[in-house]
Amino acid sequence: MKEKQINPRKISAIKDFCCVVPALIFLAVFTYYPIVELFRISLTDWNLLNDTWNYVGLKNWKWLFAGSGTKYLWNSLRVTILYSIGELSITLIGGMIFALIFNRMTNSFAAMRAVVFMPKYVAMSSAAVVFLWILNTDSGILNYILSVFGISAVDWLGDRNTALISVLMLTGWRCIGYGMMVYLSAMMGISTDYYEAASLDGANGIQKFFKITLPMLSPTTLFLFVTTFLSSMKVFQSVDILTQGGPYRSTEVFVYNIYRYAMVDFRMDRASTVGIFFFFLLLIITVATMKISSGNVTYDS
Amino acid sequence: MSKAMSQNERNEAAKRNRKIKAAAQWILAIIVMIIVVFPIYWMLISSVKSQEEILLAIPTLWPKEFHFENYTNVLNRGNFAKYYYNTIVMTAGILVSQVVTGVFAGYGFSKGKFKGQGLCFIIVLGALMIPIQVTFIPIYIMMANWGMSDTFMGLILPVAVSPYFIFMLRQNFMAIDDSYIEAARMDGLGRVGIITQILAPMCKSALFTVILVTFTDGWNSYFWPKIIAMNEKRRVLTIGLAYLQNTFAGQETMNNHEVMAGAVLAVMPVIILFFIFQKYMLTGYSKAAMK
Repeated sequence: MKEKQINPRKISAIKDFCCVVPALIFLAVFTYYPIVELFRISLTDWNLLNDTWNYVGLKNWKWLFAGSGTKYLWNSLRVTILYSIGELSITLIGGMIFALIFNRMTNSFAAMRAVVFMPKYVAMSSAAVVFLWILNTDSGILNYILSVFGISAVDWLGDRNTALISVLMLTGWRCIGYGMMVYLSAMMGISTDYYEAASLDGANGIQKFFKITLPMLSPTTLFLFVTTFLSSMKVFQSVDILTQGGPYRSTEVFVYNIYRYAMVDFRMDRASTVGIFFFFLLLIITVATMKISSGNVTYDS
Repeated sequence: MSKAMSQNERNEAAKRNRKIKAAAQWILAIIVMIIVVFPIYWMLISSVKSQEEILLAIPTLWPKEFHFENYTNVLNRGNFAKYYYNTIVMTAGILVSQVVTGVFAGYGFSKGKFKGQGLCFIIVLGALMIPIQVTFIPIYIMMANWGMSDTFMGLILPVAVSPYFIFMLRQNFMAIDDSYIEAARMDGLGRVGIITQILAPMCKSALFTVILVTFTDGWNSYFWPKIIAMNEKRRVLTIGLAYLQNTFAGQETMNNHEVMAGAVLAVMPVIILFFIFQKYMLTGYSKAAMK
């Protein structure tokens, strides 16, 4: 009889476990299982246009690293890194400059800050079509403004030298206010004692910025760096609407490369192979940034 | 005497410096504002111009005539009314499923006790590192096999659980003292009661912020809808707008005024929310991610 009695604590534990089960099932089906599937598909020759497929071993991996795919892999890696550097510079440096400009605690400045932050909430697709229109070669306002200053029309999105810059203009417009807000809320946390002590020592504004503000903000900078870097690796939407990866693949970022193999060429095998590569790339970056962030950063205790 | 003078002068100089700094900040802030606001202004202004006006060699900063029929054109001919419906249903579906699963999982990971809790939580955290941009191919194939392409189910199911949402709620629930939970249990409240009557009200503003972020991300989502629902039937606003761009502005004639009207329609709900709930939304992304 005693053995059949169920421990109430055990029932409670089961009920608690049941709370997390739905979430775990979804993550298993839609996040972890697909990774396994990606591996499997990368070993096949699955083309959506064919009815059958076979396992072909490491053929796709050979194609990716020592075949016709290599060229495009390195190209997309290069474009993505360039894009990341651009987005990071805009968010970190631009955000910092904006934070210094808007660092006044009055109502009018609070209102202006809200307006500068607003683009973050404008859907990327809307922002992108607006930028398409602004950057339009023949009727765009940007080329008109340039023509007033005697500069001839620039084919912003059709020229391989300016296409990525155009994409970064859109990105910058949307994320610079975010960098500003994050920096500003951290700046408010710096004790004024530091600045007063520095003033007594005769430090000027520039010295104060480099000796106090910047070091005190290093945890914030690191946070912004890590999150912006990881999200910039996944860029897709702005490229998809503005340039479709062109011209001559000069804006073909990593995700767009995978998308093209899967949804344009219907080569699921190749797309999966690049996808797995991308997965490992993100994993390495995440682990590396986590290692760095647990290292040397100045904290105000 | 002379010392007092110099002290006075120094104060004067400091005051002047402060004034110069304030003036410089004002000027720079206004210039920055104008540049940042310009694309939004240009979108609004272009959306009510006529086709002739939008193609003028010298762009006009204020429309000569207001053509609000651009909006009705987009809603009817561009089928934006349907895209609106699709977007609302999709966003609502994502929101409800993420809130329900997130709140329960957040409770389980913070106030619950069971074997393997740590391991289960690592599974959730690990999922944060795997974006849908990596996994979309197998998910797409799975959805297609289940007959879910171009359906609401296809749009919602793969993003029905948000590890970010779970993580945020767990952090906030953790901060609540266990004594409240114990007291509620004494009063005979079950898990659902504890969540809805104790935890949720105590984390109201954090919960609301996460919900606003979830709503915005759902409404503005593009990548997954583009993969799973390209057809007219379940096309959402973001995809519809890109489609409009390609058909109206590209193939027909230069219809950028109507594309701009579509862009305004697509962002309106979120921008209105932004102005109403500024307090939450200004900190939304930053504060949420910092914790």
